[in-house]
Amino acid sequence: MPAAPALIAATADHLARFAPFDRMEREHLAWMAERLRLGYYAKGESVLAPERGEVRTFYVIKQGVIQGERAGEGAWLELHEGECFPIGALLARRAAISTFRAQGDLFCYEMDAADFHQLLRLSQPFHDFCTLRLADLLAQSQRQTQARYTAAATQQQSLESPLSAIVRRDPVTCAPDTPLKAVLETMRDQAVGSIVVVEGDRQPVGMFTVRDLIGRVILPRTELDTPIRHLMTPDPVALPSAARAFEAALVMARHGFRHVLVADGGRLAGVVSEKDLFSLQRVGVTQVSATIRAAADLEQLKKAGEDIRQLGHNMLAQGVGAEQLTQILSTLNDLLTHRIIELECTAAGDCRYTFCWLAFGSEGRLEQTLATDQDNGIIFLVPPGESADAVRPTLLARAERINRALDVCGFPLCKGGIMAMNPKWCLSLEEWKETFARWIDAGDPEALLNASIFFDFRPLHGQESLAEELRAWLLAKTVATPRFLHQMAANALRNRPPLGLMRDFVVEAAGEHADTLDLKLNGSTPFVDAGRLFSLATGVDATGTAQRLRAAAPRLKIPPAEVEAWISAFYFIQMLRLKGQHEESEAGLAMDNRINPDLLNDLDRRILKEAFRQARKVQSRLALDYQV
Amino acid sequence: MNPFARLFRQGPALDDHASRRLADWQALPQETPQVALDQGRFVVVDVESTGLDLTRDRLIAIGAVGVREGRIRLDDSFEVVLRQERVSSKDNILIHGIGGEAQREGLPPVEALLAFLAYLGKSPLVAFHVTFDETMIRRALRDHLGVNLKHAWLDLAYVMPGLLPEYARRYRALDDWTGHFAIANYARHSALADALATAQLLLAAMNLGRARNSLSYASLRDLEKAQRWLSWAN
Repeated sequence: MPAAPALIAATADHLARFAPFDRMEREHLAWMAERLRLGYYAKGESVLAPERGEVRTFYVIKQGVIQGERAGEGAWLELHEGECFPIGALLARRAAISTFRAQGDLFCYEMDAADFHQLLRLSQPFHDFCTLRLADLLAQSQRQTQARYTAAATQQQSLESPLSAIVRRDPVTCAPDTPLKAVLETMRDQAVGSIVVVEGDRQPVGMFTVRDLIGRVILPRTELDTPIRHLMTPDPVALPSAARAFEAALVMARHGFRHVLVADGGRLAGVVSEKDLFSLQRVGVTQVSATIRAAADLEQLKKAGEDIRQLGHNMLAQGVGAEQLTQILSTLNDLLTHRIIELECTAAGDCRYTFCWLAFGSEGRLEQTLATDQDNGIIFLVPPGESADAVRPTLLARAERINRALDVCGFPLCKGGIMAMNPKWCLSLEEWKETFARWIDAGDPEALLNASIFFDFRPLHGQESLAEELRAWLLAKTVATPRFLHQMAANALRNRPPLGLMRDFVVEAAGEHADTLDLKLNGSTPFVDAGRLFSLATGVDATGTAQRLRAAAPRLKIPPAEVEAWISAFYFIQMLRLKGQHEESEAGLAMDNRINPDLLNDLDRRILKEAFRQARKVQSRLALDYQV
Repeated sequence: MNPFARLFRQGPALDDHASRRLADWQALPQETPQVALDQGRFVVVDVESTGLDLTRDRLIAIGAVGVREGRIRLDDSFEVVLRQERVSSKDNILIHGIGGEAQREGLPPVEALLAFLAYLGKSPLVAFHVTFDETMIRRALRDHLGVNLKHAWLDLAYVMPGLLPEYARRYRALDDWTGHFAIANYARHSALADALATAQLLLAAMNLGRARNSLSYASLRDLEKAQRWLSWAN
């Protein structure tokens, strides 16, 4: 059959506007165009359905919209001009899983399955597009982030790498009985700042660093023949060599160490220093955490608050994943809050902790992004013979000073007044139980909204057992109240992630938020809601979304692969939020959670669509479990 | 153009090769319009001409796409420009975009039309506002090849209002109907692009026809006739 060259060229031009055709060789596009047929489907007509058996046709939408529906799940996917399907079914030579239905007048290019397979062989970009799984795409996206942010082309250590890849050389060691003089000589000769004290078959028992010199040797005028065992820091923290670099960073941040030992089966394998982890960074995790710990006043803490944000931006630039980044940020923010409370209590001359500082919302879940305000409260103990109302005023005054100090350090006061200085959220254990019980019994929209913020509480500082008791009580109550869980599920399902990137979605045509979508509301919230609900239903006491999903999944018989796909999607969206905030901050704009999907690169756009699809799947699961 | 051909209704003189090609085409069996729409082959055409005067203006280009088994086949498509002795007016060129050079460099008309017949075979034809396309093509075939085209024609300009009577008063032009189905046209007033848009309209018409059991080309032609009568009656 003859083909008019102009028509083939026009078709190739049209296809080349979309991924993956935009990366394909012109001759392969022409090859493809010559093999295309054009079909029409009226609104509501099914283009492809599982009952038709093995898929024999590859489809590319010329114009119109297709919705994918799965039995029992309803619509879960929306495809637009230039998108192709059903790739998985064609690759596996099986039937489609979904019914693909025209949402309006639809014109679809169609190509025989045999030609599809031939095209896979001809075109590498097409092959990659069809065969790369989501995980590969995520890795690819992360590499791109890294490439974009590391302006200096210096080799940077990824915090994802195992410690075994970071340990550079054999650690310098000595025996516990070695005299101090010999130890110091070794350190000078080897030009190291730290030495590991080992026993027997290289079992680490202690650590000594040059920083210990002032406090332990010079000022106390220690004799140089003192065995090192009396001067070392005993029981050093060790991680296995398979642990990832970011875990070492977390240990350093939590304990203020500059060195972490690497040991396998109790045998020393190496030392990782902060310098190894953040060799090129201006601010390191331990540096910030040390500053916070040692801070004597608000002015120093304010500086540390700035450093935390700077560190967040730097780590993002290094390509650190969202999971690690949000955890490290939250850990440092915790430390900062810790120190503010300590300073306040010291100033008040009252260090008896009869209360516990609580974090709510994203801070409670350890999922803080770069733009974050305060969500906190207090839970306190009522001494025998006293009333809560008698105890409250003192705590409120103290809380107000803490809230204002946090504001100074870069955590703006909560507009909704969810702060410990608000009498509504400075409650005794009994009062918290009453409040929670009221919400659970009412189940009205306000109660559900409150539950979504307060039920993610996490003890931050003080009498943690109070919070633990409240958690245990809450879980017992929610597990036994299916009606409330049902109401929470119905509420969570009111917020539907978009099927596509723009459609069935509030995209304002003009104004401040023109053409943008809200990654928090439409992207991460469905996962967070599901994590909370699953944890409340199955009695999981974790507050982090990923931990909740992982812990609840076996109890709900959700396959691990499914949960991991949800978690990857969740972290991808968190990553986009962080990147968006980073870019806004660099441009001197206010940070928010909105992005314009048109400005994403193809890869990220494709993953975001997949992430939204996963969000819909999570919601289908909720709908199914709670019969909403 | 040979003025005698028009005067005496005689076939123009063709060389042996051309005569053989013409004979080959004439020997093809005529396809029946009774064939079901989603089985046979139909050829959707659109032409560009030097103007809109049916008696004086000349054929410049033919664009065509084949529809088989209910699908437009991109590899069954055709486009040809007929060599013009006199280039059409500037205003006319601005419409179809076939410039003076392209008109002079087109295929000799005999060659172009033989190529078109070879592509067409004996498949039934479809167009939007058939009168114009049919007149232009028939006259060119008669003048240059001495052929009297006996193919059936289906006019979507009448079929569409017959299928969607609620739009019959509002929609007249091809653009009205393609707009209704959101059919994009990659190059309006290029014969090939317009033929493709018209073919997409045919797919929609076949879909609508299926819903009302008008499953063959012939039944759509009946619908067209009824609609013609209706529009005259109005």
